[in-house]
Amino acid sequence: MSAKHKGKGPQALTANHLREGFVVWLTPDMGWSPHFKDALLSEDETVIDQMQAQGDKDDSDNLITGVYFIDVDAETKLPARYRERFRVGGPSYDTAAHIKKHGVR
Amino acid sequence: MYRYDEFDHDIVQSRVAQFRDQVQRRLEGAITEDQFKPLRLQNGLYLQLHAYMLRVAIPYGTLNSKQIRQLAMIADKYDRGYGHVTTRQNMQYNWPELTDVPDILQDLADVEMHAFQTSGNCIRNVTSDPYAGATSEEVEDPRPTAELLRQWSTIHPEFAFLPRKFKIAVTASKSDRAVIRAHDIGIEIVRNDAGEVGYHVLVGGGLGRTPIIGVTLRAFLPRVELLPYLEAVMRVYNRYGRRDNKYKARIKILVQETGIEDFKAQVDAEYETLDPAEIAVSDSEVARIAAYFAPPEFEALSDEDAEFDAAYKADASFANWVDTNIATHKAPGYAIVNISLKPLDRAPGDITSDQMRAAGDLADEFSFSELRTTHQQNIVLPHVKKSDLPALFKALAAHKMADANIGLIGDIICCPGMDFCALATARSIPISQAISERFSDPARQRAIGEMQIKISGCINACGHHHVGHIGILGLEKAGVEFYQVKLGGDASETAAVGDVTGPGFSHDELLDGIDRLVDFYMSTREEGERFIDSYRRLGMAPFKEVLYGT
Repeated sequence: MSAKHKGKGPQALTANHLREGFVVWLTPDMGWSPHFKDALLSEDETVIDQMQAQGDKDDSDNLITGVYFIDVDAETKLPARYRERFRVGGPSYDTAAHIKKHGVR
Repeated sequence: MYRYDEFDHDIVQSRVAQFRDQVQRRLEGAITEDQFKPLRLQNGLYLQLHAYMLRVAIPYGTLNSKQIRQLAMIADKYDRGYGHVTTRQNMQYNWPELTDVPDILQDLADVEMHAFQTSGNCIRNVTSDPYAGATSEEVEDPRPTAELLRQWSTIHPEFAFLPRKFKIAVTASKSDRAVIRAHDIGIEIVRNDAGEVGYHVLVGGGLGRTPIIGVTLRAFLPRVELLPYLEAVMRVYNRYGRRDNKYKARIKILVQETGIEDFKAQVDAEYETLDPAEIAVSDSEVARIAAYFAPPEFEALSDEDAEFDAAYKADASFANWVDTNIATHKAPGYAIVNISLKPLDRAPGDITSDQMRAAGDLADEFSFSELRTTHQQNIVLPHVKKSDLPALFKALAAHKMADANIGLIGDIICCPGMDFCALATARSIPISQAISERFSDPARQRAIGEMQIKISGCINACGHHHVGHIGILGLEKAGVEFYQVKLGGDASETAAVGDVTGPGFSHDELLDGIDRLVDFYMSTREEGERFIDSYRRLGMAPFKEVLYGT
């Protein structure tokens, strides 16, 4: 079950897709997207409660795992914490990208 | 090398079937994540920053060509075309999907591999000297002992829920290539004055947030007592290890808090309660295991080889590679070959599926089909004829695996860091690449000489920064990465924890600081001195001064 929201400022809800493991973000229609640009960002406590309820439900329904809230910078609309920027952008270096770029394994 | 018997086979196949069922039940909701997590961790499956990560065990770093080709197949079929060699000689995949993991485990089982005990509070994969069975330095091949420990510790019912993880390393040479002094238990195979072979047992070493060099528990343990004695050690740890605080739960803290003499007394008292004969294995069983590690049939060769000598004289790049990457073999006319996984443009330890296949093919052609992984995140071909070295070098170069930097400043140990790891506090890969770039001139690397830079992206120290000649710890504050530096660490038989220099550096400041450190060392070193030797002679003060540019 998700940790209770304890953050400051706008919140986004993130998790990992249970089957694939990849990072997902809760969207305004209460679905999940792999893209942070699609994420629902809110400071409204009522909405945050709805987000929490949806996260808990989808966790219980075995759609996602490891659900938690992150703080979002109100101006940049990017994650406030350094760590979460990597969840958004992926690794700054990945040999997979190197392979793709150079066309060799 | 060791081949599974019917017991291994049955255990591994059963475990695959069990995990397939556990995954299915997790997906159906019959078990919760809290219930599933310890089960997946016991099979090496972590949930990392971006995705699942699977850590595959490579017992004592030994694998054959068929196995590395299977690892390549898995990288292509289920992952993104590469794997990562870890500082405990394992192989990690960064992008597997949960639904594929049972199939991956089956594919591993098909080549006598698994991911048992690569996570969790159990006895982890036993590591060893990558030169085992090939170096003339060793008292004997340490791998039969490591294999005995693997069999004893695998699914040992009493040691599946220890206070914390437990790491054992075994070596049989005075030169320590397995970092045994930074393990929960380090074992050095030795010979006593009477000529008997036994074990020097060290305990309480470790890195992480409390780096400690292991101390002698038994200077000479007779061979037959190994398993019963370790059983007694594990029981004492299981009983008294700090389960109240995860950061104080490793045996090193227990040994520190108890004192080595009292700890030893507790072990001895526990040992008295055991029936060693019930636990010890018979001589015939030891001989059976040892037979699997019988050396290959080396040809009777001279150590002088005209073909090799001619290539060495004619090709400077080949000569440089020989000087850095080749170690002396016990058999005349043979060599131990280190394959560097530290090219400029790649994360240390990463190896693509094509490179894995190439390494397997070259092992078939030149090294009795055998390979090793190293804690330095490289690969070893243990038994190569000197006359084959020119052809091997050429083939490695074609696969971008001929970097001549083993043991030099470009041979950096580096954890995945914030780019992949859920625990990290900063990135480590970009710093390793920047240092490699800054010191990319091969001539300068050779002029600097032996230099161990080790980088960790957090205090857990998977990158061994505490025991680097230059150790680097990545941290972050207010969205900015900075790097603390330690100097004077040593991972060898003269192991030492490095000294913290002071406040951290930005990325650019760090590169310039290391540049100044290296220049200072080269201007002040005495004949034959390595960086670590100069540091020990002069102390931290002058090095700190140039590092900080004060």
